[in-house]
Amino acid sequence: MDQNAVIAAPSESFIPPRGAWRRIEPTALGIFGIAAPLVLWELVPHIIELKAGTKLFFAPPSQVAVTLWQMFASGAIWTPLGASATGFALGLGLAILVALPLGILIGRSQTFNALLDPFITAFNATPRLVFLPLLVLWFGLGLWSKVVIVFFGAVFPLLINTYEGVRNADRLLVNVVRAFGANEWDVARLVIVPNALPYIIVGLRLAIGRAVLGVVVSEFFGSTAGLGVVMVQAAAQYHVDIVFAGIIVFTALSLAMTGLVKLLERRLARWRPARPGGE
Amino acid sequence: MSDATLPRANFYRQNRKLLLGALGVALFFAAWQAVFLIVPLNPLFITTPGLMASALVALAENGELANDLSVSAVPFFYGFGAAIVVGVPLGVLMGWRARVGWTLDPLMTALYASPLVALAPLVVIFLGVGIAGKAIIIFLLSVFPFVFNAAAGVRVIDPLLINVVRAMGGKERDLYLKVLFPGVLPYVVAGARIAIGRAFIGVLVGEFFAASEGIGYAIARFGDQFALDRMFACILVITVLAVIFTEGVRWAERTAFPWRAGE
Repeated sequence: MDQNAVIAAPSESFIPPRGAWRRIEPTALGIFGIAAPLVLWELVPHIIELKAGTKLFFAPPSQVAVTLWQMFASGAIWTPLGASATGFALGLGLAILVALPLGILIGRSQTFNALLDPFITAFNATPRLVFLPLLVLWFGLGLWSKVVIVFFGAVFPLLINTYEGVRNADRLLVNVVRAFGANEWDVARLVIVPNALPYIIVGLRLAIGRAVLGVVVSEFFGSTAGLGVVMVQAAAQYHVDIVFAGIIVFTALSLAMTGLVKLLERRLARWRPARPGGE
Repeated sequence: MSDATLPRANFYRQNRKLLLGALGVALFFAAWQAVFLIVPLNPLFITTPGLMASALVALAENGELANDLSVSAVPFFYGFGAAIVVGVPLGVLMGWRARVGWTLDPLMTALYASPLVALAPLVVIFLGVGIAGKAIIIFLLSVFPFVFNAAAGVRVIDPLLINVVRAMGGKERDLYLKVLFPGVLPYVVAGARIAIGRAFIGVLVGEFFAASEGIGYAIARFGDQFALDRMFACILVITVLAVIFTEGVRWAERTAFPWRAGE
């Protein structure tokens, strides 16, 4: 059909039609892509008769939505969510505090870089989860094993991106600042850090995703408080709706924070003519 | 005289990174071992590299390690294989057909952003603790890097190449074999690098939750038994394997697609 139209009007074939549908088509299809599976999921019990056993595990979206609403309305969600958020914030904060200076150091010093590189490669490749049983032994079932797991998850994207940003600083600018009598501190303040900032922000975005994963995983296996704990307990009692509600909350938080970082990125990059790509 | 010193200086300079890296690792283990010459060792709290090495040898000799690794490898193989088989064609389709891309992109992004590990307890309830449950957890975690990278790979293909193939009378099949597949391949390999790390997490999550064998289970069990030497040995094995896998893929990337090196 489309092709016929093109053949009939060759002169217009390179001008995309500007109908209303064309403009909203990507968004509409995207919404459809999310809504269709949800509707299908909702309709399954109405179309085919579920066995009693399967019914127990089956939570249609409407039920998940109601559960989610009730969790917020009754306030039951705030205590576990607070515990999760504390672990997340402490772990991510520590990761930022460690990763930025260390990243600048290994970006500026070849020797430190070479000495530490095997450890960074090894820890970054290894799933941090292997350390969880050990951390539970060391720190007990509580906040601190969670913080350490979140820290380990978040620190490497930040460290590696900071390092990349520092390494990519313009040599010419460094030399100019040096020629005007700047010491290493001035070089860092005037050239290195502003140059590395977009990279650091990209690292922060990756780190948030890893940190959320760290919170979930550590609460599943080594914690007594938090939204992940609520989810595991619910799963053990076949409250599938609570598990899905928990996933939605975590997803929403992760998307919201990533969105905030994107805003920050745009704000910080305003003066920059072209944005360099990070990882 | 300068002739005599030059090669040595060059050798150091060329391998500086490697040498210093080896020095860093050696220093780390030496310091770890040395600390317990001064501080009394509490074997219920930490171990030493020496004890860890002997535990590793013991585990390797009685075949426990090989057994655990092979048990873990089976669901890894199935889950990761399924991720490639499903993820790459889906990604290519999303990149190649704009409407499919528009339809699936938001859904995939939302799923990728959501902590799918959280589905692990449900998967275990549905499918039990066998190979299938673990393979599905691994699949769920590792499929998305393939989808997104394959789609990105298709989107950056030079339209000129497509037009040339079409102008020369190429069929849809030629387009796939001669343009799309070679163009997408480097992106898929790059996706594999990310996916491997996530698949490792899947193995561990599956085995921490419910298993009676496997390397992740071994770590959890040795932790419960306070057998820290054996626990550290297993952690070391996983670390080495993870490095070999990711660096292996990186090496394959550099060797097979040198024009993309450093991306």
